[in-house]
Amino acid sequence: MKKYLNNIFNRKKHKEGKKSTYDFKPSWLQNFLLELGGLSRFTGNFFRELFSYPFEIKEFLKQSYRMGLSTLPLIGITAFIMGLVLTLQSRPVLVDFGAESWLPGMVSVSIVREIGPVITALICAGKIGSGIGAELGSMRVTEQIDAMEVSGTNPIKYLVVTRVLATTFMIPMLIFYSDAISFYGSYVAVNMHGFISPQLFITQAFDPLHYFDIVPATIKTFFFGFAIGIIGCYKGYYSTNGTEGVGRAANSAVVISSLVIFIIDLIAVQLSEIIHIFSI
Amino acid sequence: MENNKDILNNTNNNYVIEIEHLQKSFDGRMILKDINLKVKKSENVVILGKSGIGKSVLIKCIVGLIFPDKGSIKVFGKEVTQMNHKELNEMRTRVGFIFQSNALYDSMTVRENLEFPLRRNKIINDKKEIDNLVYEALENVGLTDVIDKMPAELSGGMRKRISLARTLILKPEIILYDEPTTGLDPLTSREISKLINTIQNKYNASSIIITHDLECAKRTSNRILILQDGIFYAKGSFDDLKTNNDPFVKSFFITV
Repeated sequence: MKKYLNNIFNRKKHKEGKKSTYDFKPSWLQNFLLELGGLSRFTGNFFRELFSYPFEIKEFLKQSYRMGLSTLPLIGITAFIMGLVLTLQSRPVLVDFGAESWLPGMVSVSIVREIGPVITALICAGKIGSGIGAELGSMRVTEQIDAMEVSGTNPIKYLVVTRVLATTFMIPMLIFYSDAISFYGSYVAVNMHGFISPQLFITQAFDPLHYFDIVPATIKTFFFGFAIGIIGCYKGYYSTNGTEGVGRAANSAVVISSLVIFIIDLIAVQLSEIIHIFSI
Repeated sequence: MENNKDILNNTNNNYVIEIEHLQKSFDGRMILKDINLKVKKSENVVILGKSGIGKSVLIKCIVGLIFPDKGSIKVFGKEVTQMNHKELNEMRTRVGFIFQSNALYDSMTVRENLEFPLRRNKIINDKKEIDNLVYEALENVGLTDVIDKMPAELSGGMRKRISLARTLILKPEIILYDEPTTGLDPLTSREISKLINTIQNKYNASSIIITHDLECAKRTSNRILILQDGIFYAKGSFDDLKTNNDPFVKSFFITV
């Protein structure tokens, strides 16, 4: 087994006394598998600590408050623009077909099912994911995580579990907030070309929304939140090489979690389609 | 739960730390080849050695931050490598560690930094008692006036003292210092060295001090060990080693 692993990783140990090096140059595939293995083990540690006493409720609430509150303005502005632009861009096509009254419904389905959750999750990956990666990364390189461990505190429980839980529960809430603001943006855009009462807009917007639009879209937001939290924590927790490593941790936290958001979205769409077909 | 006294009773010959044939390698490079070390109660042992030779690795092995490849490390008579998580945490509350970078929590004030180990280990829950201990620890390092400041607002010497205070608050029986005077001016270095001696006398604590600062070594050491090529190359008192004829040992004391 050892020989097999040595062959895989192309390890060449030089005899002592001579130049002692360790030629470990993994290919991109080996790097990817190592990263995947590391992330899986880290996720396992997260679940092991999640259900063990004591529960860090105070730290969890602090992180939730911090993450949620700090992201509200950014999400609000982007969501408003998203709803406004989507409505303005879709309107001419619907007007051509004489289906302008479908505009609120079409926009609401797009926002609730797809655009709202994905765009908001991507913004959160950039804002929250990079923040976690940089924070834990700097704590790692300045030995604060080691200091925590030496003082008898489990850093996985105190730093990782609280942050991952906070993103898992706060990102769905931010997505609900984003959807609501996008609806308002859409309402403003509709009213730029004529008057429609808020009651009529809400009726037209919610009319085409069904159970199968809302539930899968809501469930996947928890997975988005979990992915952003765990990837940010993983990259920060194992950050190396000083300040350069902190920057790299923050950057790769954003890149990987953005990619994972699209993968989760793809899986969620496929699963909800299958469930929808079987339920008919 | 094993009682602290029981653990102490296991200690042979009054040694609080016993290391035998310790080996540790990283990426195929053997950093520590055969380390043997015994530290008595209330003894200050200084370890000298070139940078990157494995001094910090050795003290991190003692507190279980790094696990050795081979060998035995006993702290208070109990094998560190065989301790479970709970035992490791219990041991760590009795062993203080001063990090080279001070490792103060950036997001917390000085008060919160000092309260953290007390609250986390649930040693004391009474707020008044915690406040008294925080003041006592800050008084020991002469910095009661910075209690509500953030670590970023403090100078290097102040941060080192706060780091010492945070360690002292748990009244550890062993303190491991990782380059306590690095990056400090000579005057502050001298003050930190004095503080190390004060702590030894006041709390009867044993210490391992890793340093490049010969003045600190001279002031604080009961015994000095020189680490080279993964083994302790030379040992003795400061004066013994200073008069040693070995060229390598001499090279360490050439400036004094």
